[in-house]
Amino acid sequence: MSRIIDSGLEELSAILHKMGELGYRAVLTALTECFEDKEAYNEVREISDILVSMAYHVEDKAFELIARFQPVASDLRTIKSYMKIAYDFARFGRYALDMSYTNQKFGGIRNCETWMISHVKEMGEKTLKMISLSIASLRSHNSQLAEKVAQTEREIDKMYFDLLDKLIKRAATTKCTVSSVLIVRYLERIADHATYICESIIYIATGQKVILR
Amino acid sequence: MAHKFEIENLNAWFGARQVLKNISMKIEENAVTAIIGPSGCGKTTFIRCLNRMHEITPGASVSGKVLFNGLNIYGNGVDPVMIRRKIGMVFQKPNPFPMMSIYDNVLAGLKLNGVKDKKILDVVAKQSLELANLWDEVKDDLNKSGASLSGGQQQRLCIARALAVNPEVLLMDEPCSALDPIATAKIETLIRKLAENYTVVIVTHNMQQAARVSDYIAFLYLGELIEYGQTKQIFENPKHELTERYLTGEFG
Amino acid sequence: MRKMDYYRFRLIKDYAARFIVYLSLTVALIPLFSILYEVVQKGISTINIDFFVNPTPTVGEKGGGAANAIQGTLITIGLASLIGIPIGLMSGVFLSEYSEHKLSVIVRFFNDVLSGIPSIVIGVFAYALIVRSIGFSVIAAAFALAIIMIPTVTRTTEEALKLVPLSLREAAIALGVPRWKTILTIVLRGAKKAVITGILLSIAKISGESAPVLVTMGYWRWWFAGLNRPAANLALNVFVFAVSPFENWIALAWGSALVLILLVLGINIAVKIFTRERY
Repeated sequence: MSRIIDSGLEELSAILHKMGELGYRAVLTALTECFEDKEAYNEVREISDILVSMAYHVEDKAFELIARFQPVASDLRTIKSYMKIAYDFARFGRYALDMSYTNQKFGGIRNCETWMISHVKEMGEKTLKMISLSIASLRSHNSQLAEKVAQTEREIDKMYFDLLDKLIKRAATTKCTVSSVLIVRYLERIADHATYICESIIYIATGQKVILR
Repeated sequence: MAHKFEIENLNAWFGARQVLKNISMKIEENAVTAIIGPSGCGKTTFIRCLNRMHEITPGASVSGKVLFNGLNIYGNGVDPVMIRRKIGMVFQKPNPFPMMSIYDNVLAGLKLNGVKDKKILDVVAKQSLELANLWDEVKDDLNKSGASLSGGQQQRLCIARALAVNPEVLLMDEPCSALDPIATAKIETLIRKLAENYTVVIVTHNMQQAARVSDYIAFLYLGELIEYGQTKQIFENPKHELTERYLTGEFG
Repeated sequence: MRKMDYYRFRLIKDYAARFIVYLSLTVALIPLFSILYEVVQKGISTINIDFFVNPTPTVGEKGGGAANAIQGTLITIGLASLIGIPIGLMSGVFLSEYSEHKLSVIVRFFNDVLSGIPSIVIGVFAYALIVRSIGFSVIAAAFALAIIMIPTVTRTTEEALKLVPLSLREAAIALGVPRWKTILTIVLRGAKKAVITGILLSIAKISGESAPVLVTMGYWRWWFAGLNRPAANLALNVFVFAVSPFENWIALAWGSALVLILLVLGINIAVKIFTRERY
């Protein structure tokens, strides 16, 4: 049976999906920029700004639904989680922007050592995979998908610390060191936020507040 | 907190029609427990079983135990009149006695049970009306007819009347459904205040009211207890699917 | 029809209906007023101190009054009420408050039957039961009148009590008031007006009964002489004197009729005063 609040919830859901796609695109663009000689800062900036304003819009809409409908139970959990997820997607944009800014300043890592490039590339792919996973589990409110993300998150964390270790052991140019550290830091944070999204999905579906890290 | 009521396998009938099926539950002392559920699910019948009012309807019957302070109120030799003095009730439509003044209305329970001392009566009247947040509004008009008040005031008068006999429990059957939102808000505030010293059980079909006012929720459906728990847990994360569907408005 | 025409047509219908209603009211009131006029006109001249002081005259005696008839009527009706009202009240309470009891169907049925029995039949019943053993007496008359009274009191009491909303009873019971006390205080008090109205009207009814009085007491000329003897009765006097050949008797008949009407009127006024709104 369709309720008045359902159209509001669907609207929120549609916005979030759009945000997911934009977030993925932003991170992909910024990541590609690391390895190729293509300026993408303006493009990423535009996406990030859109994501921020969409997040505000989600917050407004969520508050309107709360004021009007006094939602309870799964509706309440959904709305609370949607607000968090919108913020997390906006963070993707923000970190992608940071990555792009770093690329502008340091010229990317395409001219750095091979091991560095492949390490960052692998991390980047894993991160993108996590973003896709979080978007998919949002689409289906599937908590099992969401739990898979924990595995990948651990891998990314490990790779982050590995890089730091390697940088300490092996000498590398300052530019590359700084650049790569920043990039993997941002990737790690993006992965964290993808994890938060999955935790929110689990909360919507089961009411359990879990920590997937 | 101790359990004011322990209800075990309570069944109730109107003639051959069974209205309550095997309800078992505990009610906490000095807390507000709200009974919610769709129309016809047996909420009113349930609380009327708690003060033995169900049986005054011709053809009504009950089985099971209701332990009040550990004593089964349906046990042999238990006097229902004494039970009703300890467990008071407020009804959906305010029902002050129209042929009595406000003063006499509040004291009806006492006077009809033989209390005559004017000093005691005056004190109890004032205390009860104060407890019901009605004293300031009527203190100069105590001799006016009970029926001359507004709906919200009448309901508070009925609450004062119920409290005047010094019960331990107050049962409230949709006490606000005949009232406007402001009068409702006043009574909800009153209910929270009363919970400090009385055990309150309130039947309501208004879920938001149940959420605002209660510490515990019992969800009844078609005469059965589906779920019971703390209000916060039920409204954030109900365990039973039926509860979830009722709360989110899929039926009701 | 144009709108205005239709409107006027409706107006005409309205006035016509109102006219018919007022006409019917007048027609209905004509007998009442003509009776009142007749009785007052014929009877007022008889009403003087003598009327209230002197007993009824014998054949040939001049003047006289109806003092003993008034006395006798009051005593008879008083005794009948003493018997009839409590029984009627309690039956009414039983039918209203304990209607789930098995007996109530039987009681209600027989009450309805009793209210339909002609008063003369009840008189004859009283004759057979009491006059045969004690003789013509106030007791017999009061007994008959009480029986006539009971169904009316029962019915009006039951109707009056039923008007008290269930919610008031429940409120009292929820306060821990026992059921019998609830009935006595809340229900009866709540229906006080209607119950008393019913009682007073039944008194008015029996004060005008002459047939049962005739077969249980007969005509009595003297003052009250004991419950086991007859007493004078206003209604019966009207019956006896009106067709007599004596002028003063006929005048007394009119006077007695007037007093009876004043009695009924007085009771109705008393009912109105007694049941006025206090708040």
